[in-house]
Amino acid sequence: MNAPATRNDGAAALEVRGLVKRFGQFVALDGVDLTVAPREIRAVIGPNGAGKTTLINVLGGQLVADGGSVEVHGRRLGRQHPHQVAKLGVGRTFQISSTFRRMTVLDNMLYAHHAGERRWFGLDSSRLRRLRDPALADLETIGLTHCADQVVDDVSHGDRKRLEFGMVLATRPTLLLLDEPTAGMGLGERQELIDLVLAVARERGLTLVFVEHDIDAVFRAAGSITVMALGRVFAEGTPDEIASNADVQEIYLGGRR
Amino acid sequence: MAAERRRGDAWSIDWRLVAVAFVVVAVALHLSPPLVAFAIIEVLIFALYASALNLLLSYSGMVSFGHAVYFGLGAYGLAITIAKFGWPIWAGIVAGPLVSAFFGLVYGALCVQLTAIYAAMLTLACAEITFAVVFQWFDFTGGDSGISGHVPAMLGLSPAWFGIVVLVVVTLCILALWRVVHAPLGLTIRAVGENPVRAAAMGHGRKRVQLAAFVISAFLSGVAGTLYGIFHGNVFPEYVGVLFTIDGLVMVLLGGLYSFGAGIYGAIVYKLLDNVMAHYFEYWQLVIGVILVLVVLVSPAGIAGLVARVVELVRGRVRGSET
Repeated sequence: MNAPATRNDGAAALEVRGLVKRFGQFVALDGVDLTVAPREIRAVIGPNGAGKTTLINVLGGQLVADGGSVEVHGRRLGRQHPHQVAKLGVGRTFQISSTFRRMTVLDNMLYAHHAGERRWFGLDSSRLRRLRDPALADLETIGLTHCADQVVDDVSHGDRKRLEFGMVLATRPTLLLLDEPTAGMGLGERQELIDLVLAVARERGLTLVFVEHDIDAVFRAAGSITVMALGRVFAEGTPDEIASNADVQEIYLGGRR
Repeated sequence: MAAERRRGDAWSIDWRLVAVAFVVVAVALHLSPPLVAFAIIEVLIFALYASALNLLLSYSGMVSFGHAVYFGLGAYGLAITIAKFGWPIWAGIVAGPLVSAFFGLVYGALCVQLTAIYAAMLTLACAEITFAVVFQWFDFTGGDSGISGHVPAMLGLSPAWFGIVVLVVVTLCILALWRVVHAPLGLTIRAVGENPVRAAAMGHGRKRVQLAAFVISAFLSGVAGTLYGIFHGNVFPEYVGVLFTIDGLVMVLLGGLYSFGAGIYGAIVYKLLDNVMAHYFEYWQLVIGVILVLVVLVSPAGIAGLVARVVELVRGRVRGSET
């Protein structure tokens, strides 16, 4: 379904070459290469400290790389600020869900729709009223209608994760970066969210790169898997290839397969 | 059903409340002796000033430790354009808030380069520079003796009618502020103020959004300062000084952070204590200090939080009796 690692005719959705990121003496990314085709669903796994989150942060513009290059849909990312990266169609969630906790769930989603129109100014509040119905429809899709009027601070951890995912989708990204979308969720919730992510990604033809520790979710969802260790890409392939890779089993899966 | 109704209401203005408040203040202005009318006018002017500051504190994620600059420069803009440039009074009145907005743009552009406590320190630095210039540039600003006689105090109106003018201007400005906060721009300001990392990941850079908020806040503070300058018919360096800055901050904290009404509630209570207690108690500021400590420790939502709780209680009772 998701032909892994095959390049489309056009530019790759994401093309990373020799990416380096250092924190003082510590080398978090040590020459990462990564090519993700449009519509591909790519999982990034690896032990703690492998550089997965650093990679996502560099791709999203939250961190500036010390070397190497990143291209999104053929456009080179230089030292762009996060909001400029976002405007290139890169949407992301954070490991610890990042929402507006003093606002209501509905206002969060309204804001996402407003941001999705690529405008920040404007004094015409009827525009926000127009965005209410699509925002409520989105809340329905991600199953948050029940708490639309609640302040985000008062809703559960899982609901916040889903809200963040829904908000990012509302900005209509073409490349979606998810940093541990199911971290800290219950088992049932996790499966639901992963299914939701997959359904939306396929329906909209999004390119998806997600970091995940839940191995079951990874093998169910991913079309291809990148294994990172010590700031490098350690292995790459289809789920089957990764599952049968002896080295990967050694460092990561602990021989469980 | 009830929830559905409330969702709609959050965006609109409760005109009945505005009308009632307007009429009550207007009547009070006409029925009270001049001294009380003066106090009401002070409350109105400071309600606008504190509300403008509250846009920064509650919504934009910025702290200004020098907001009196934008208040006081309104009064200086008025005085200097009339007394030094020979402009007509109406032009001076227009110039006041614009001078504040201009300095809001310049200082704001500087301050948004930094965040958190560093940005706040920069607002303080800008304010100190401004105060020093205003205080020492005698030929232009009148130095420590200020400027007076450029405009008749209260435009020569009676306290009651000048009070009505102030009431109209302040009401319009606060309604405009409400519109800004609840417009797309206001949503962007609130988002950037609360979580700049998330807002950036959605395509909204922090700096220009915060700068927009800063300029709006400076402009409205300037309107308040211009009114204050007309009210007293003079201007002194204290108007841009640290005490006026602290007045604004205390009002917002008393009123309750993260609520639109913080500046209004805070101005009412603070000025009430100022006017009433000062008569009876020499150390009235000590009382304010103690109240402030209590508010911050016990009820960070301030008076606004208290009001919201009472309203909820009353509404709950009414609803309970209906069913």
